Amino acid sequence: MAETLSIRDTARREDAPWLTLRMREAMEAWLFISPTVAGFLIFFVGPLIAVVWYSLTEWNLLTQQATFVGLDNYGDALFRNPDFWHVVRNSVIFAVGLVPLNMALALLLALALSRRFAGVIIFRTVFFAPVVTSAVAWAIVWRFLLQGEAGFVNQILAQVGIDGPNWLREPNWAMAAVIVTRVIKMVGLNMILYIAALQAIPRDYEAAARLEGASGWQIFRWIVWPLLGPTTLVIMVITTIGSFKVFDHIYQMTGGGPENGTLVLAYYIYQQGFQFFDVGYASALAMIMFVIVMVLTIVQLALRRRDT
Amino acid sequence: MKATMKRMTTTVFALGMMSGSLAAAELRFTIWTGNEAHLKMLNGFVDSFKAKRPDVTVKYETIPPGDYTQKLTFQLAGGNPPDAGWLMEDAAPTFAAAGVLEDLAPALKKAEGYDFADFSKPALGLWTAGDKVYGVPFSTSPFVIFYNKDLFDKAGLEDPNALAAKGEWNMTKFQEVAKKLKDTTGKWGFEFKDGQGYDTRIMHALMPPIRAAGGDVWADKQCGFDKPEAVAAVKQLHDMVFKDKSIVPPGEQGDYFSGGAAMTINQISRASLMPKAGFKWGIAPLPTGAGGESPVIGQAGIVVFSAGKQKELAAEFVAHMTTKENVAAAAQFFPPARKTVLDSDAFTKSNNLIPPEQMKVVADAIAKGKVLPAHEKSPQILAAMKPRVDALWRANADVAASLKAVCTAIQPLL
Repeated sequence: MAETLSIRDTARREDAPWLTLRMREAMEAWLFISPTVAGFLIFFVGPLIAVVWYSLTEWNLLTQQATFVGLDNYGDALFRNPDFWHVVRNSVIFAVGLVPLNMALALLLALALSRRFAGVIIFRTVFFAPVVTSAVAWAIVWRFLLQGEAGFVNQILAQVGIDGPNWLREPNWAMAAVIVTRVIKMVGLNMILYIAALQAIPRDYEAAARLEGASGWQIFRWIVWPLLGPTTLVIMVITTIGSFKVFDHIYQMTGGGPENGTLVLAYYIYQQGFQFFDVGYASALAMIMFVIVMVLTIVQLALRRRDT
Repeated sequence: MKATMKRMTTTVFALGMMSGSLAAAELRFTIWTGNEAHLKMLNGFVDSFKAKRPDVTVKYETIPPGDYTQKLTFQLAGGNPPDAGWLMEDAAPTFAAAGVLEDLAPALKKAEGYDFADFSKPALGLWTAGDKVYGVPFSTSPFVIFYNKDLFDKAGLEDPNALAAKGEWNMTKFQEVAKKLKDTTGKWGFEFKDGQGYDTRIMHALMPPIRAAGGDVWADKQCGFDKPEAVAAVKQLHDMVFKDKSIVPPGEQGDYFSGGAAMTINQISRASLMPKAGFKWGIAPLPTGAGGESPVIGQAGIVVFSAGKQKELAAEFVAHMTTKENVAAAAQFFPPARKTVLDSDAFTKSNNLIPPEQMKVVADAIAKGKVLPAHEKSPQILAAMKPRVDALWRANADVAASLKAVCTAIQPLL
């Protein structure tokens, strides 16, 4: 028997007069998105709330004993633990080193590669390839290249008469090395964002400026750069957040060493939680990191708003 | 009607399957090794266990040694505990204090012909508290020198065993030989254990020379790194790395097992890597120092986890794994803590890769050696040491000051 739907079926049923079409549509909509909402609540909001709770406890993962200690973990980190501020300092150095370098390089590459010319795709691919490379493989290769005397980098330097340092075994050089290798790995992503933004700028602007006799630099400074503003902001925010969250790269390259010279916040949290099994303390540190990153993001957004 | 019948049959069938799987138990056993020879031997224990318990199977789960304790902790904390497993000496006090290990004493007493008294007392130190037994030592493996005979011959040097026989195998000779090897063969003279001496195996790198010099890293809750014996021993190592350039320095690779270094320090479980190495090799005792002979032993035990669901069965399997017969079978890779096995000819002949006279080196070291230091706060101590030891491994480091800094860092934790 073929079934036909009458208007009564779709609009309102006699046995459930309250079930209006609007209501039914709303219910269907919620049903459709419920898997995503459930996932969001269980895997995102849930852990977020849990971390806040954990951070107020002294919880040893191994013994599975948790005692409520109020704000003690925060107090200890902020006022009594000298390592904490050393670690924050390292994170700031890492970010301050990485963000401008990454953005400047990304912009230069984008400017060079946003025009169409023969082989441009190959160049873009070359610079983007590290982004999709496994972070572990990347770090292992660089660890080999940056070995003391036998390392490839130092052998190249020796060719031009420079006696290179033992990159990953001296604190300051190690920090420089992890920053630069991280920039090379991630710069392709920002480059692509900049290329997209550059290609969205109408060519007429540039043509008009040229007619008026503007130089290349003037066109960049007064036309291109302001129009890249929104993209620059997005890139700055995500790169800053990413640099504070860096973990895998440090874990593989230096393990926080030497002499804690590359011990950054995310790695320190890992140490507390997963090496010392002190989950409460690690959670408190994670909350502090969350606040730092949030404040930085708000500041960047506010600065941008003031500019425009 | 037909459909109902079909549904009932299916249900009955499914129930039958379930009860079948309940009777056939599977134990999950975590271990650090994935080596074929090791697993073959371990699976042999399962086969013989089946004679008593035909329905039981044991699945060995390999977790790489670097992450072993950490991943094991996650399994316990995540409500997915293995039934039994291997535990390294540095984790033993932490785990025992946390109460996650099952007391094995009742199961061992019940096991027929087990003879617990046969285990050497010092070897049990880490694993027992009063009458309680938290683990059975399964590998009491001294550190020995692995050497590349081909490189020694090439350099025209007597090998460490020949020197030991003449009573000349001491730290001074060790330094001299390592330098000559480097200068004549171009290969590194010595590599720290698994090339990890500056990172995860700091203790394995520093401990043997410090003990040879008559010192200790800590004893009775007192840090020993800054004592004169320890400072002298570490200074010598430092000279070897930076002046003689005979030890693989930090940040470089020089793998003994692929012929990149002439000597290394390791345990006989690594002998299983040697057939593939492609050079003549041997094992020798650690060089002696001012403190005389002082072998260092790394130890591991097998334990049953309190959170496991099949504790009794797991304990029974642990008892089976550590009977005299099975300890003797395991001895080729994992030296025994059972006195009868240790004293037997069978032990020195157990390893088909290592000749009996060299296995004698192992037996002697077990008899005279001291286990590596362990502590309830091992992870924290190592993390506190690490940055100060990093500072030590720089060419212009002040060794005494660096070691003093190590002590300042770890004393509160001890």
